[in-house]
Amino acid sequence: MNARDLLREAVRALEANKGRSLLTILGIVIGIASVIAMTSLIGGVRNNLVSGLGLNAARLVYISAASTMNQDTVDDLKAVMPSYEAIEGTAMSYTQKKVNDKDISISITGASNQYYEMTGQLKLVEGRLFSQQEESADARVCIIERNGIKMLFGDPQASVVGRTVELDGRDYLIVGVSESQYPSEDYMQAYFPMGTVLNDFNQGDEYLSQVIGLVREGEDVDAVMSETITKLATIMGYSEDEAQDMIYCYSMKSSIDSLNSFMMSFQLIMGAVAGISLLVGGIGIMNMMLTNVTERIREIGIRRALGATRRDITAQFLTESAALCVTGGIIGTIAGFAIAWGLATVASSMDLTSSMGTSGVITPLISPQTILLAVGLSIGIGLVFGYYPARRAAKLDPVECLRYQ
Amino acid sequence: MARPVIDIRGIHRIFESDAGFAHVLHNITFSVRPGEFVAITGPSGSGKSTLMNILGCLDTPTSGTYLLEGLNVAELVDDELAEVRATRIGFVFQSFNLLPRMSVLDNVMLPLAYTQAPRFQREMMAVHALQAVGLPVDHYDHRTNELSGGQMQRVAIARALVNDPAIILADEPTGNLDSHTGRMVLETFHKLKDTGKTIVLITHDSHVAAEADRIVSIRDGRLYHEDTSGIISTTGGGR
Repeated sequence: MNARDLLREAVRALEANKGRSLLTILGIVIGIASVIAMTSLIGGVRNNLVSGLGLNAARLVYISAASTMNQDTVDDLKAVMPSYEAIEGTAMSYTQKKVNDKDISISITGASNQYYEMTGQLKLVEGRLFSQQEESADARVCIIERNGIKMLFGDPQASVVGRTVELDGRDYLIVGVSESQYPSEDYMQAYFPMGTVLNDFNQGDEYLSQVIGLVREGEDVDAVMSETITKLATIMGYSEDEAQDMIYCYSMKSSIDSLNSFMMSFQLIMGAVAGISLLVGGIGIMNMMLTNVTERIREIGIRRALGATRRDITAQFLTESAALCVTGGIIGTIAGFAIAWGLATVASSMDLTSSMGTSGVITPLISPQTILLAVGLSIGIGLVFGYYPARRAAKLDPVECLRYQ
Repeated sequence: MARPVIDIRGIHRIFESDAGFAHVLHNITFSVRPGEFVAITGPSGSGKSTLMNILGCLDTPTSGTYLLEGLNVAELVDDELAEVRATRIGFVFQSFNLLPRMSVLDNVMLPLAYTQAPRFQREMMAVHALQAVGLPVDHYDHRTNELSGGQMQRVAIARALVNDPAIILADEPTGNLDSHTGRMVLETFHKLKDTGKTIVLITHDSHVAAEADRIVSIRDGRLYHEDTSGIISTTGGGR
């Protein structure tokens, strides 16, 4: 029998016992739904972290000290810490602007392009980063967040690159627009070259708000953090005893490791649920197929009398079993994505990832690989658990089958 | 003289079980010419069903030879026997043995599903077979359990014809039918015989057997030949 005929026969057999088929595939549905929910939710969380924190998140070290650091401190640290790929400082400030009787709060960040690239904080959607000349000249240029367009110019679709915005009595040329980190109606972020912020918003004060280092790939982040404390203490004139109290290093790695550990536990639990469900589901499939074989003994005899080989009978029942499982797999896949969306909505509303500096919105990952996994698992279960009943059917003696009442 | 379609010589069939051996067929020898209509009669337990199963390649003899159109089927393995059944033999059963989930047309096409014929060709062949047995076109999409007994048996005969077999084996084809419907079925067999089909029919009914060109009777696993004039000869006659 060719594949099309086998499929036609399988569909006919399933339609003849709709209720029984649906009940039988319940185990498969639960198992596949668990697998899909787990993989798509974890994929969504990982994507959220990567997009929010940037690909380098696990290698970033945040360095702070009791007394303030400036660019000279950063340069001195760079010179004695080759384990870092880059160390950059950032200066922060704050201002307000009245537009059409509405007060807008603007958070000011000043840093180098390298800082923005290594942290992934600034996601350009239009325009460009600052040029080297603009950085060196502390030029009055800026990049604003997308939600700021409506606040400053009244029209959210307005094209603002090349226009100027007045802040604290000074005009700044907008060279780029970035994604909004925390979309708001009356709060926005604006990014400038470091020197521009130090000069214009911090009254020439050289001190940096934050220093961040990007550890080289392959280096032990914890060991680098420990070394940083020691070396920075020396640069800033602290004793060994004072170092631990006066200098603090923090890495996202431990949070990411905790999250990975949590996701692995979640994966293990869901995997166990999925595995047990699929095993139970598979046994149910085998049971149903054995019943089918018994109910259709006479049909098997008729088919054998008409020319079916043992292989034809095996293929027919295996196809029925696989079709049953694929049906369960499709329903399970849809249910799995629905569960993932539900859990993602709950997790997003609880803002579970915002503590790691990302937006709380988690979108489950729907990938072709996940769907292929579900289909492949379903077919595999159908073939494995359907094989024994199919072989039993094929080995039946046609004469005995035709006599069967 | 034309080569026999069926030529069996010295067939023995012995069944083994926990209870011992059962020697069901003893040294059966007979042949069927192309286009002949032969009836096999015998009481219950005489071995006629066993002989029919061997003729239909559903069972293999313990010893002896069976040439079907010159092919020694006694030496074939299971898959080869299946191919012979799909291409050279048409079965008509007492209880019709149609598949209730399938339509009339799908039932008639079923033997062809086990050949290489494409679907459109199978449909054409099935329609020709149904026309040969005189079933109305508007019945082709019906489920078989919506038909009368006579109509179901005609569908079964169409299914037996669809692969243009060398022989049609009918096991008590009128057993579940009233006399009028049974008469119609026998007329169908006569029409097929007139087109050159070779028919071997099993029956316990002497009136049905009398419709055949030749009668062979089987008692206690041994064959006796009769022609339609009532002359009896033992195994080895009829050629």
